[in-house]
Amino acid sequence: MMIELQETAKTYESGGGRIKAVDNVSLKVDDGEFVAVVGHSGSGKTTLVSIMGGLTRPTSGRVLVAGTDIWTLDNEHLARLRSEQIGFCFQFSSLIPTLDSVDNVRLPASFASGERGSPARALELLETVGVKDKARAFPAELSGGQQRRVAIARALVNEPRIILADEPTGDLDEVTESEIMDLFQRLNKQGVTIVMVTHSQNLATKAGRILTMNAGALEAGAAV
Amino acid sequence: MVGINPKTDFTVGPWLKQNLNHTLGDNEIILGANAHIFLGKSESHPGDVEYFYGKPFTVVGILDPTGIGLDDSGFVTLSSVYDMAKGSEKTAIRKLEVNQGDISALMVGVDPNASRAEVAKNIEVLVPGVAVVSSKELMSSSISRQLESLTPGILLIGIGFWVISVLLIGALFSMIVNERRRELGLLQAVGATRKFIFRLVMLEAMELTAIGGIVGLALGSLVILLLKGPIASSMGIAYLWPGAWFIVLFAVGYLVMAVVTGIIAALYPAIVASRLEPYQAIRTGE
Repeated sequence: MMIELQETAKTYESGGGRIKAVDNVSLKVDDGEFVAVVGHSGSGKTTLVSIMGGLTRPTSGRVLVAGTDIWTLDNEHLARLRSEQIGFCFQFSSLIPTLDSVDNVRLPASFASGERGSPARALELLETVGVKDKARAFPAELSGGQQRRVAIARALVNEPRIILADEPTGDLDEVTESEIMDLFQRLNKQGVTIVMVTHSQNLATKAGRILTMNAGALEAGAAV
Repeated sequence: MVGINPKTDFTVGPWLKQNLNHTLGDNEIILGANAHIFLGKSESHPGDVEYFYGKPFTVVGILDPTGIGLDDSGFVTLSSVYDMAKGSEKTAIRKLEVNQGDISALMVGVDPNASRAEVAKNIEVLVPGVAVVSSKELMSSSISRQLESLTPGILLIGIGFWVISVLLIGALFSMIVNERRRELGLLQAVGATRKFIFRLVMLEAMELTAIGGIVGLALGSLVILLLKGPIASSMGIAYLWPGAWFIVLFAVGYLVMAVVTGIIAALYPAIVASRLEPYQAIRTGE
C-alpha cells in the first residue's frame, strides 16, 4: 500500500463556526495506481491531497505513506519524506521567481540525499516535459503551460514514488492539457503512483480510479 | 613662527615624538597645515628649504589640520630664533629684534585636578610683571565640558533611533515574509526544513543590514570629510582625526552593530516564517 488514510479529518475554525474540510475519510491507494479525485469547488479535494503529502496536519486520523505514519515524524524527517518520496504539482505557478528553469528543477534535489540535482539531469527532465529550449528562462518569461511543465520536471527530479497533482492542467488550453495528461500516464506506466485532483470528469477518466469528494466526505470509489 | 624648547615643550612635542624620529634640530622647521599659504606656495613638503630673515630652515614635517591658529604657524627651536635674530643684521633687509634669552610666552601645564584660576593668580602674585592670559585651550575646555553634558542626551537619542530602526526592520521583514508566504510554503513542499526557512530569513536580514551598514559608513564618512572644515572653523577648537586603529575598530564595531540589529529585528519574522504550515502558506500566499 502506497498511501493509506485512516478516518482522517481536517477542521477549520472560521467566522465563529467550524468547517469540516475533510470529514473522516478512509482510503487506500496502491503502489503504481493512478487515482483522480473529483468534486465541486470547496469539496475538500485540495485539503485531502495536502494531508496525503504532509503539507497540512489532519485534525484527527492517521496518514500512512509507504507504511510510515507521516504525522508522527519530526519536521526534519517529514521534510525529507516530502523531498524524496513525493512530487507536488500545484494548480498555479509554483516556480521560484528568482530561479531559472534548470535551477527550479534542481531545487528539491538540494534538500534530498543523493546526487540527482546535476544540471545535465535537470536538462534531461526539461526535455522529457518538452521545454528544454526554456532551460535558462525565468518563470516570468514562460507561458502558463510551460511553467506547469517545468513544475512537473521539478516534481520528478528526486524520482519520487508518488506524484500529488492539484489541478495540474487548470487554466491551460486543450492541447497542453492533453500533453500533460499523456505525460502523467507515461509516468504512471513507469510505476509512479499518481493522485490527481481535478474538477473535470473528462480528465478524471484518464485515471485508473475516480474518487468523488462532497462536503469533505468521500462519496464512492469506482474503477474505470 | 614659534620658537619652542624641544626638551620642555608639550604643545607640539607629542606630535614630534610620534612622527619625527629625532628631536627638532636647529635648522629644521615644522609647518602647520596652512602655513604654505603664508609662504606664498600652493603646498609644502618635507625636505623643502624655506628662508626666514636669510636663515635657511628645512621642512621636516607638516602638522595635521586642527582648525585653529596652529595651522598657520611654523615651529622651530628657540635657539634657532636667537641665531636667526643675531644673523639677521647681515642677512636680512630688516633686523629681527629678539635678544638672547627673550621669551614672549611661557606655557604652563596644569594638573587636571588643579584650579587654573588659582594657578594663574599665584603666578601673577609670585612673578611680578607677568600677565596670565586665557588661551584658546581654556575655551576649548569649556566647549568640551558643554559637549560632555550633552553626551548623555545624544546617547539617549541614539538608543531611541536604534530601537526605532529595530522595530522598522522587524516590520519590514514581517512584510517580506508575508509577501513571500507562498514561496516559503513551496520551499517546504519541495523539502526545505523549518530550520532552513529560519536560516534563510536570518541570512537575508544579515546580508541586507550589512550592506546598509557599509553604505551608511561610507555616507557618514563622506559627510564628516566634507563638513570637517566648516565644523572646525565655526567652533574654533582643534578638530583632529582619531588614530587609524580607532577608526578601523569603530568601523568594524559599527558594522557588527548593524548586523546584530538585523539579527534582533528579523528574529520574530524568521520564527513566524519557519512555523508556517506549508499548505496554509501556499493557499494564503495566492
